[in-house]
Amino acid sequence: MGRLILRRLAATVPVLLLVTAGVFALIHLTPGDPIDAMMAESVDDTVKRELRRDLGLDRPLYLQYATWMGRLLQGDLGRSIRNREPVIENVSRRIKPSLQLAGLAMAISLLVATPIGILSAARRNSAVDRVGTSFALFGICMPNFLIALLLIFVFGVTLRWLPISGYVDPMEEPWDGLRSLTLPAITLGLALAAVITRTLRSSMLEALSEDYIRTARAKGLSDGAVVRRHALKNALIPVVTVLGLQLGTLIGGAVITEYVFALPGVGRLVVDAVFARDYPLVQGVVLLIAVGFILSNLAVDLLYGFIDPRIRHR
Amino acid sequence: MASSTPGSGIAEPVAPALAPPAVPHPVRARRWRTLRHAARARLAPFGAAVLLVAVAAALLAPLVAPHDPLKQDLNRALARPDRAHLLGTDNVGRDVLSRVIWGTRVSLVAGLGSVGIAVLVGGLLGLLAGYAGGRVDGLVMRLMDAVLSFPPLVLALALGAVLGAGLTGVVIALGVVYTPTFARLMRGQVLSITAREYVDAARALGVPGWRIAWSHVLPNATAPIVVQASLSVAFAILAEASLSFLGLGVQPPGASWGSMINAGRGYLQQAPWIVFGPGAALFVTVVGLNFVGDAVRDALDPRLRV
Repeated sequence: MGRLILRRLAATVPVLLLVTAGVFALIHLTPGDPIDAMMAESVDDTVKRELRRDLGLDRPLYLQYATWMGRLLQGDLGRSIRNREPVIENVSRRIKPSLQLAGLAMAISLLVATPIGILSAARRNSAVDRVGTSFALFGICMPNFLIALLLIFVFGVTLRWLPISGYVDPMEEPWDGLRSLTLPAITLGLALAAVITRTLRSSMLEALSEDYIRTARAKGLSDGAVVRRHALKNALIPVVTVLGLQLGTLIGGAVITEYVFALPGVGRLVVDAVFARDYPLVQGVVLLIAVGFILSNLAVDLLYGFIDPRIRHR
Repeated sequence: MASSTPGSGIAEPVAPALAPPAVPHPVRARRWRTLRHAARARLAPFGAAVLLVAVAAALLAPLVAPHDPLKQDLNRALARPDRAHLLGTDNVGRDVLSRVIWGTRVSLVAGLGSVGIAVLVGGLLGLLAGYAGGRVDGLVMRLMDAVLSFPPLVLALALGAVLGAGLTGVVIALGVVYTPTFARLMRGQVLSITAREYVDAARALGVPGWRIAWSHVLPNATAPIVVQASLSVAFAILAEASLSFLGLGVQPPGASWGSMINAGRGYLQQAPWIVFGPGAALFVTVVGLNFVGDAVRDALDPRLRV
């Protein structure tokens, strides 16, 4: 297991290098002068010159990259040109709502998808199955922002049960906090639930057709016991795979969800930075998100080895 | 052939008995079978119809749109759907239906354009990596891994931001996002095909490398690429809508589904139809394209048939 971890870690190093190079290059992809793109015409020339020197854009490219990488290795991701605060600080202020949203969404999706996926497979081609598969298709084809607007329309505008924007920290005010996160978490959770339902259904179907299931039935186990103890355990591995693959979609979905519900999370920070043309902030946040994404993929990879002994011993 | 209607599961076992004993044209017979499989996938006809309507709307937008999509009429702002405006009007009195029709263009251009770029660039990179092997392979594939290290929407957002607002930026950004998928797919195909005997034979005959790539590897590698491409278009359309919902892509007053939905979300209470029109168009198109993609997959890749 230890060697597996080391090998995986070593394999991510070149990718990380390329990722940083890509993020560095981002600012140079702007057609024209990045300084002009970041600042309005009217801004004084001396201010622009200062910013250019600050960002090192007046020096040759290889020097810029070397300085940037040097700072990065010391943990300095740069500063926002809008609020002049370090990227790290901008992100750490925004990370809590994002993590809470992601955690709640994950919980909702598992709560919804597990029973539907299992029932769909166990009662294949029944009415339950048709409802389940339709739900999955709906969730996969329905963009996040439409689900969000639908929920806002029904629960926020028409029934007026839940707030449609803003954020209250559930650690401080549990009731209001949960209420403020409910619609965003359902939005994000439903899309994920759809994918999990689909995967769980097909992997359950596969597991249920195995010989050991027939054996279990033959020795007189109840349907429930067969499904729970024999089929479900083996059907969960593809679900973990899909959860890993969906991480990227989940992060993208969080960006949209935070934008629609005005949640002050990291996703909202990316959107704001993009539209404020705060390129150093965009670079820093995107890099952090990418590193987080790489690390969580790594974690999922290692989780396999943990769940499935066959992989560990390969 | 018309007898094998979609969904009639019993057609298959009977077919061999009815088929002519000798098959004069094996290639054509196979093609027919491929087409029949595609048609039989339960929902493919619906998907095909959606695709046809979307393409027609995109091509004929100037002819079929009942109103000018940009013409404002403040006296008729937020008007309910009626006979003059089938899907109502938006906050400045523009006809929602006409804007939805014109928006079809944007969605299809974005979906087809970005996947086209990805197939072309990714395909070439995969061909290069699989064919050259060694260091080139390592470099190209690490590069693709790096692109895959970004959550797709975040990468598209960042690229779209630096490339500048507008449809071109979004198409290029999404093209970059989808490129690794096709590069990986193509590389895998190349590796498995170049290990075949007929490639060895061609090599032994002294056929130059590029000829082998062009006339042996490429034709045999197309099926999975086509399958992946047809499934990707639906997701690319969703992605474009998401980006234009956030404000990238086609700029106002131009009409795209995502930006229309974003503009309408402030009027959910008074005029939900502003969101409903483009929302329904987007949902139906994506569902339809998914069905088409599934049908193409079932037809071209029997191993994946469920």
